[in-house]
Amino acid sequence: MLRKRLITVLTFNNGVLFRTKLFTPDYRYTLNFVDAWSVDEIVVLDITRDQHGKGQKFADVVSSFATRCFVPLAAGGGVRTVSDVRSYLSYGADKVIVNTGALERPELITEIATLFGAQCVITSIDARQSAEGKYEVFSGFGQQPTGRDPVSWAREAEQRGTGEILITAIDRDGYLQGYDLDLCHMVADAVGVPVLILGGAGNWKHFLEGIEQGHASAVCTQNIYHFTEKSISSAKRFLAHAGVPIRS
Amino acid sequence: MIGIVDYGLGNLVSVAAAVSRLDFEPTVTVNPDVLADCDKIILPGVGAFGDGMRNLAERSLIEPLRRIVVDEGKPILGICLGAQLISNASDEFGVSSGLGWIDAHCRKLTSNDPSFKVPHVGWNNLIQKKDDPIFCNIPDDALFYYVHSYYVDPSNDDLVIGECEYGSRVTSVLRYRNIYATQFHPEKSQRHGLTLLQNFLTGA
Repeated sequence: MLRKRLITVLTFNNGVLFRTKLFTPDYRYTLNFVDAWSVDEIVVLDITRDQHGKGQKFADVVSSFATRCFVPLAAGGGVRTVSDVRSYLSYGADKVIVNTGALERPELITEIATLFGAQCVITSIDARQSAEGKYEVFSGFGQQPTGRDPVSWAREAEQRGTGEILITAIDRDGYLQGYDLDLCHMVADAVGVPVLILGGAGNWKHFLEGIEQGHASAVCTQNIYHFTEKSISSAKRFLAHAGVPIRS
Repeated sequence: MIGIVDYGLGNLVSVAAAVSRLDFEPTVTVNPDVLADCDKIILPGVGAFGDGMRNLAERSLIEPLRRIVVDEGKPILGICLGAQLISNASDEFGVSSGLGWIDAHCRKLTSNDPSFKVPHVGWNNLIQKKDDPIFCNIPDDALFYYVHSYYVDPSNDDLVIGECEYGSRVTSVLRYRNIYATQFHPEKSQRHGLTLLQNFLTGA
């Protein structure tokens, strides 16, 4: 049976790992801890604002993960063209994450899927809920409203060939209060590709909610390991005990 | 020396890193003469079937590979797309012809279950159907990392030595003489993946 995945997301600014809160860098916690032998998958994101995706330091980060961690590795940050994708793949990434680049030019998804296969492209969607409860997709590090609805954008991304979708609730980022489950299950139920949920996980119960109520194929976490002594394996024991098929 | 076929598709960095980690010497190459000199060959690959065949053809690799693998019997491991390319054809983006080293057809994963997601991405079991040296020191039902939308369906079921459960039973590992093919990525499957690679690299 296919297992639910626990994915570790690491954000880098100029090659330095740090955590974020509300999409803003917070350098107080830079505990560099990846338990490479129980993590199911690693996502590395370059959020260097001026030269994203093109810095040598981040290339070195991707290469070092690719040669040391024998698990799937996705890389993102500043992907605008097929040539950006080729660079990330040459550093050793298995897949790339597109976000703003795909919103600016949705054909980018098709170009990547056609050349490298659907499994090579994860479309990342950052969404924010308005006071009226309506969700909207934001681009440019969660700053620019796009007027797009996350469900319809997810469907379009699927039609254009994305292999997976990563959905993030901007307002949950860094708060450790739990995922936006409504947002996730709306998107997950609307598409046939796996949906990954990110933003807000603060304890193991949140993972369970993401899977059971959010209908996510994978639960992602960025900040939780910065705060806790607990390991990925203890998270997995919790989920296995709750009856979730997981890789121990 | 282990030859890793560089035909412009696939994560060669990870495959080469895994081979190095196991204390073998990887050579990433497009040169058939170098491949002919290697002890074993790995045909990696991610991407679309048609592109894979086109890239092999553009690099004039189809005939030399057939000679090295089929005529001379050099051990080869096809991974993911590399596993599919050894069949006759695939339904991906219309029907494309493959290398035809085994009598098989690549078909799309399907299910009647609405929660069934394609591509099949993630960790799933490898159900060992037959005893084979490639499975040495790997427990039955061990988890491996899969990412694919198509699977290899051989005319002779005896070639399927490992399966996984996804909608239905899906081919996971094939063996035909000196040819091994895994639908999952051993280089991305941590401990068990490295063990499987080691079994291939050290095996006869």
